[in-house]
Amino acid sequence: MKGKLEPAERQRLIEEGKNLKEGLVTLEEDLLKLTDALQQEAQCIPNMTHPDVPIGGEESSVIRKMVGSPRKFSFPVKDHLQLGKELDLLDFDAAAEVSGSKFYYLKNEAVMLEMGLINWTLSEVMKKGFTPLTTPEIVRSSVVEKCGFQPRGANTQVYSIEGSDQCLIGTAEIPVGGIHMDSIVAESLLPLKYVAFSHCFRTEAGAAGTATRGLYRVHQFSKVEMFVLCQSEESEFYHEELIKIEEDLFSSLGLHYKTLDMASVDLGAPAYRKFDVEAWMPGLERFGEISSASNCTDYQSRRLGIRYRPSEPSSTNSKKGKGSLPPPKFVHTLNATACAIPRMIVCLLENYQQEDGSVIIPEPLRPFMGGLQIIAPKSR
Amino acid sequence: MGMGGTTLQTLKLASIPSFSSSRFVFKPLPKTLTFLASSRHGRTQRPPFPLLARALSAAPAVQTASDETAVKPQWKAAIDFKWIRENKEAVALNIEKRNSNANLETVLQLYDKMTHLQKEVERLRGERNVVANKMKGKLEPAERQRLIEEGKNLKEGLVTLEEDLLKLTDALQQEAQCIPNMTHPDVPIGGEESSVIRKMVGSPRKFSFPVKDHLQLGKELDLLDFDAAAEVSGSKFYYLKNEAVMLEMGLINWTLSEVMKKGFTPLTTPEIVRSSVVEKCGFQPRGANTQVYSIEGSDQCLIGTAEIPVGGIHMDSIVAESLLPLKYVAFSHCFRTEAGAAGTATRGLYRVHQFSKVEMFVLCQSEESEFYHEELIKIEEDLFSSLGLHYKTLDMASVDLGAPAYRKFDVEAWMPGLERFGEISSASNCTDYQSRRLGIRYRPSEPSSTNSKKGKGSLPPPKFVHTLNATACAIPRMIVCLLENYQQEDGSVIIPEPLRPFMGGLQIIAPKSR
Repeated sequence: MKGKLEPAERQRLIEEGKNLKEGLVTLEEDLLKLTDALQQEAQCIPNMTHPDVPIGGEESSVIRKMVGSPRKFSFPVKDHLQLGKELDLLDFDAAAEVSGSKFYYLKNEAVMLEMGLINWTLSEVMKKGFTPLTTPEIVRSSVVEKCGFQPRGANTQVYSIEGSDQCLIGTAEIPVGGIHMDSIVAESLLPLKYVAFSHCFRTEAGAAGTATRGLYRVHQFSKVEMFVLCQSEESEFYHEELIKIEEDLFSSLGLHYKTLDMASVDLGAPAYRKFDVEAWMPGLERFGEISSASNCTDYQSRRLGIRYRPSEPSSTNSKKGKGSLPPPKFVHTLNATACAIPRMIVCLLENYQQEDGSVIIPEPLRPFMGGLQIIAPKSR
Repeated sequence: MGMGGTTLQTLKLASIPSFSSSRFVFKPLPKTLTFLASSRHGRTQRPPFPLLARALSAAPAVQTASDETAVKPQWKAAIDFKWIRENKEAVALNIEKRNSNANLETVLQLYDKMTHLQKEVERLRGERNVVANKMKGKLEPAERQRLIEEGKNLKEGLVTLEEDLLKLTDALQQEAQCIPNMTHPDVPIGGEESSVIRKMVGSPRKFSFPVKDHLQLGKELDLLDFDAAAEVSGSKFYYLKNEAVMLEMGLINWTLSEVMKKGFTPLTTPEIVRSSVVEKCGFQPRGANTQVYSIEGSDQCLIGTAEIPVGGIHMDSIVAESLLPLKYVAFSHCFRTEAGAAGTATRGLYRVHQFSKVEMFVLCQSEESEFYHEELIKIEEDLFSSLGLHYKTLDMASVDLGAPAYRKFDVEAWMPGLERFGEISSASNCTDYQSRRLGIRYRPSEPSSTNSKKGKGSLPPPKFVHTLNATACAIPRMIVCLLENYQQEDGSVIIPEPLRPFMGGLQIIAPKSR
């Protein structure tokens, strides 16, 4: 229509252009809806699975490592709630009035124990080259979703803030995953290794049954979390590094535990492979999960939009000539619990209790607790 | 502190809004601006009672703009109405000097009506009992029928009166809860500019090089990230990185350790609480410009200070006198919407939505609260002196107290990057304001001598405890102080000595080579 035209020709073209435009608008609307529908469905597709992952449910998980053995007690074993009461360390009753069930106050030496665990864990993991962080505990719900969680489902674990699109985090994995959202990271910066301390909030909706007693299942807790962003070829290496760090921490504390290679049904959508550590809890008379280490490969990074530019030019792009940038690739992300404080407190109280009702503090924690060696019963 | 209903605050902001650990919703508005702001003294909305209030009271019930969104209180404060009536001139004077919008006349009228109504209800109940007793005897059928009629009328009348009494009691509570605490006689009268300096420690450091503010230091030393947090969470959120994390942990641990040495019981607390507990401490969770985050689909809120969950520990109980004073030092994260806090005093770590804080809380006998107020401010001053800060302690003026505080001492520290003093702590003596709402009493040990009629061994009546709260360490503002005051010419920051053992011996935060 830019050229010289007969009036009739011009008119014909105008008509044609108008028809095409209307057709386009309709098609573009359809494309939008289709893209949305596609996203909705496709986002449900779980990550691929590592070939060594056992197939099946919980009972199919395989023990990778077993450390220590259950302590033999020469006196009746108390659980952490009883110890907590007798040593004036915990208060669930006042918290039930103030906040609701599954909330608690820590008191006296339990506060020092929490601080000691946090500080010791941060210190140990920092020695391994991880950058320490504290994070926001209120985040936009879109970030929660991009990490693979469902903030607005029926039995969601996520607390939402009224009148806003924000939520409370259930793990520091979320705000740390969000740090490099929608960016291309220089390859030379990888791996990025973070150790983050935060409070975590979980609704625990739908978690019924016996595994809810005391500190074992609570709505709010402190946690030190490790998070790694790395090149795709290196994620399995860092998965092994993370589980080794966890195992070293738990061995240092003298815990009896087993590391499980979680079976396919138990992985959760983002994880390519997941190692859980369960520690022996004498008061509960069974193993209880104290940590989880997941290799999420590119599941989260594809949602969070985190890529890196490999340093060698791609050989298939030789058509564009030397000096052309290789296409960016998605990073791989991993996350692993360094210390979940309430369950660690359960382990320490129950395993280190003495016949006289006192609790011994494991050696590595003492310098982080002002030298405290033992939590003794208080005379009133 | 910065508060709900801060439309006034933004108008008068030449200085930094107070950042006290308490009362951040409470700054009362001058009467002339009442109709502009939806917030009022202690309360941002009125209850949905305008019709009833007008029916019961001649005085105008409403002084604020929006009535509709207020919620009826779910609980009752144990307010001493008799005392208010007997001291109404002092109470009126107090309301005046605090610039509160409480309506004393309405309260007294409602109280009057209520006592009359109560007497009427009792009288009718008495009559109904008489009728009921008469019906037990032998009666002529006509007489019995008459009594049955009478009984029925009395019952209907009673039901109506009892309903009225309930509504009256609610209306009375609503109005009376607005009355601020009385004021210590030494408190200066007036606004912020009338606050009096109790103590001045140190002097501003003289720099021989250009001073950087904490944001620039944070960027250059890779300690803070506000940009990533803005994407992930929104403005006024941040990540602490590297040595700043150690600084936060060091400050928390050192502060806890120091305050524990003074006999305080350490605590960590829930950070999600029922909104009624927030209200009982004197805050307004559901006002228009509320500082309080609410949880969707629940009656729960996030705490803005550990004062709230600690205040709630002994709710609705009678504490043995021998246990007093109860002294707690609590570490928690705190969440504040900072709605309405505009202006320059919002830069970087100075005003954020989430922060760590170590808070002191004391419950004591009524005669001892002033003593513990002095003890608390002394502990704070010792902490700040140990860190080498230059600061001043202010006796806050009447308008700045906030409804629960009988007296309030704020500490402001010199922040070279901001080139002025900034509030780092607040210590309030709330006397029995909170305890009357939280329902915390104690039984004095000596029997009351006026009760001799009942004979020896009778228990004295319980009294309300006095509560006090004081900031031991508000971490972000402390980080501002330390970074800005201890910066060196080469861009590094020295760690004050007392913190080093709590930071693995770290002595200096040095620029990192990349």
